[in-house]
Amino acid sequence: MGFNSFKRALWAYHLNTGSCNGCDIEILATLTPRYDVERFGIVLVGSPRHADVLLVTGPVARQMASRVKRVYEQVPDPKMVIVVGNCGIEGGVFHESYNLVGPVDQIIPVDVYVPGCPPRPEAIIEAVVKAWVKLEKAEQGVR
Amino acid sequence: MISLPFWNPIICIIAFVILIAIACLFRSRGQKKYKEGTAQTEIFLSGEEPPAVEQRHIKSHNIYWGFFQTLKQYYDPTVRAHTGIINDFIIWLIAIAALTAVILLIASLT
Repeated sequence: MGFNSFKRALWAYHLNTGSCNGCDIEILATLTPRYDVERFGIVLVGSPRHADVLLVTGPVARQMASRVKRVYEQVPDPKMVIVVGNCGIEGGVFHESYNLVGPVDQIIPVDVYVPGCPPRPEAIIEAVVKAWVKLEKAEQGVR
Repeated sequence: MISLPFWNPIICIIAFVILIAIACLFRSRGQKKYKEGTAQTEIFLSGEEPPAVEQRHIKSHNIYWGFFQTLKQYYDPTVRAHTGIINDFIIWLIAIAALTAVILLIASLT
């Protein structure tokens, strides 16, 4: 697969909005020697201002809603949002909690969903590749 | 005879210019798509709203933190004594003057 417009490494910022940490551990697993996504240039960065992709986990607790919006706004365009895990997609086991304002797509636009509780690292990597393809299209202005 | 290390200001200037050129090259390869006036150019504070510009500086008082922490046992009562009320200061003045007078009196008798 070759890209004509998005020719740099893909940098991702991971945001936990109230996750149980299961999905976060699976995201970290993609960086371990077994999967080692850094060999493809996919790197977790410490600031959304450096990121191309926002990886969001958790069902969005009330206190996190404004933080999620602000972090999303801080990612430079074009940007992709990947929701990792059932909680971010539809609330998961927390869906009846009084303290939720999610799921994530109620707060910010989402491009790729990765279902699972937690999803396997292979699924997360596939989602990142899909986001990468969408970014390529977005760079070409045909999003 | 002591041999001095090689020094040539022209070479230093050329090296400086080359380093500036390399820095400019790196900078030109950076992300150019940040939108001015939006959150994209604001500082990142883990999603928190950044404070106003005048609130961002580090107060000079902070460099004395260790000093105040070490002398806390001395500073705590003295800071409490400085109430800012003039009556309290006058009471302190009278008390210290009385104490001094007593000390001088005892000293003069012995």
